[in-house]
Amino acid sequence: MDFKTFVIDRHRHLKWAALDPLENTLMVLCGISIAGFTFSVFLDVVTRELGGAILWLQLVTTGFFAWGVFIGMAVATRRIDHLNLVEITKQMSGGKRTFMEVFNRLVILAVALAMVVFGVQNFMNDLGSFRAPSLIPLATYTASVPISGALIVLFCVEQLINGWNRGFEGPEDRDDFAGIVT
Amino acid sequence: MSNGAILLLMTALFLFFGYMGVPVAFALMAGVLTACALTPISMQSMIGQMFHGIDSEILLAVPFFLLVGELMTSANVTNRMIRLAQTMVGHMRGGLAQVVTLFSMFFAGISGSSTADVAVLSRTVAPEMTKEGYDRAFTAALIACASTMANLIPPSIMAVVYGATGNVSIGGLFLAGIAPGVVVGIGLMIYSHFFGPIGVKKARASLCDFADAARASALPLMIPLIIMGGILTGWFTPTEAGMVACVYIIAVLVPLLSRSHIPKLPRDFVYTGLLYSIPLALVAAASAFGWMLAYLRGPDIVSGWIEIIAGHDGRIIMLLLVLLFIVIGDFMDAVPAIIIFMPIVIKLNELGNIKPLHMGVVLITTLVFGLITPPYGLSLLVASKFVGVAFSRAMWASLPIYVVFFVAIGFTVLFPDVVLYLPKLFLPESVGCFKSPTGAGYICPP
Repeated sequence: MDFKTFVIDRHRHLKWAALDPLENTLMVLCGISIAGFTFSVFLDVVTRELGGAILWLQLVTTGFFAWGVFIGMAVATRRIDHLNLVEITKQMSGGKRTFMEVFNRLVILAVALAMVVFGVQNFMNDLGSFRAPSLIPLATYTASVPISGALIVLFCVEQLINGWNRGFEGPEDRDDFAGIVT
Repeated sequence: MSNGAILLLMTALFLFFGYMGVPVAFALMAGVLTACALTPISMQSMIGQMFHGIDSEILLAVPFFLLVGELMTSANVTNRMIRLAQTMVGHMRGGLAQVVTLFSMFFAGISGSSTADVAVLSRTVAPEMTKEGYDRAFTAALIACASTMANLIPPSIMAVVYGATGNVSIGGLFLAGIAPGVVVGIGLMIYSHFFGPIGVKKARASLCDFADAARASALPLMIPLIIMGGILTGWFTPTEAGMVACVYIIAVLVPLLSRSHIPKLPRDFVYTGLLYSIPLALVAAASAFGWMLAYLRGPDIVSGWIEIIAGHDGRIIMLLLVLLFIVIGDFMDAVPAIIIFMPIVIKLNELGNIKPLHMGVVLITTLVFGLITPPYGLSLLVASKFVGVAFSRAMWASLPIYVVFFVAIGFTVLFPDVVLYLPKLFLPESVGCFKSPTGAGYICPP
């Protein structure tokens, strides 16, 4: 397994090779998160049935789950796997296409920046909040939001620069579901 | 600016960004953050709401049911169920079309994902159908329509999201979804028999063949029993039942039926890890949108409009909501639709004195119809891509099949006693019944 095992080649023209190891790492973390909470729910059920329920396992479970969602949200941005209402940009070309793609990424960028700025504020506030029974700081969970936002900003900038220089059109425009479903 | 105007602006911005091609999760948040700028609500609290929207143990069932589908599909265990379906209905008129529907009913009992169902059928049965001369457009339309049963027959991801957001019993929703799921299945089989292509006539499978196929499928078909048995006996929550099904596949099915797949299990986890985050990112954003909608008194405004037309008549309210959700389902994914409109649904349940479980199953049946209607018919889009036919052709082929869904929706609205029979029998509390003070049986409201 190398650092590109889980990197998808779709939209290669919008990607920097230097960020491939990051995409790969994030994909592995997605796998670890689902494996992690599968195992923790399993342990939760087993210990409960054995009469010695471990309450903090539920905190571990929700932690893996929340981190998995926000890491996945970031990596789905790089892989262009998020769900869209329509795929109209893929039928366009030239300046119109560039305008639409840039506009869309600027909207994503704005939301991601809000996730960073306000997510950090929430993180700071949550340093003083604790989750029972093991009194884990809530901030260990909510840190996932600004980190996800920062990664989305990074991937958006990557796509904007590469798309501006090389154009947004690619051979995968006609195969827009291949990444998610297979 | 009045609340109504901000509400309209927020919704219009979401739709504008969404139709410009911004991913749904970001389009929703862009609308919410703009609304924040016009209200005393801080953007910080709305970003926080994204986290709180997914901070729920119940929603863990979503990745588990997706993982079940991914494991079953990638380990090729599903081929055994396809063979069982072939021995049961392959000899009928339009045999492979019947196989598609029957397999989808089996698969729906294992996975909660319509997309996984489409992926399996498009790779396995669709090439056979093309060889036998079935029109590709019909094949894509039928696969897409049959895949909707994955969200009706338990386990259903839509039911999990609906139950988690609306505080409705997920076990009850699972049981209530069986009736409309079976209606859709039988409807598709009747349609294929009378109006579908004839296909190649085959001999009826012998009893031995059927017994062999049933034996080969016995282990995979244990999964619905594990899931529903665990929930109904009170051993597991729906989330835990999903986990137990995953463990069963990894520890029993794969080693026994597809040993060569063991080294590929980490890959399944990685891809499912990504796969589950996509709808849950929508849940996070839709939860912030729904919160803002409630703050702006959206439920009061919409229920006010509906009250003018329907008064307090529960059936008319339900009918109006069905019409509204048919339109919404055409333009939006079901998961954010459920979360965004939940405050309105709850308000209307109170207005019309409607059982939340009944409303839930009606709306889920309506929203699965949205999976095959343009422009945002996700199952039809994926099926047409995989089968290799233009979306417009697949859409035309699916138009007559809409009748099946209208019948299923009508049935669900008009016959609550039939739809709620199983929940009332196995989970009486889910339909509002409570234990008799004498300790014998349950008292149920009319």
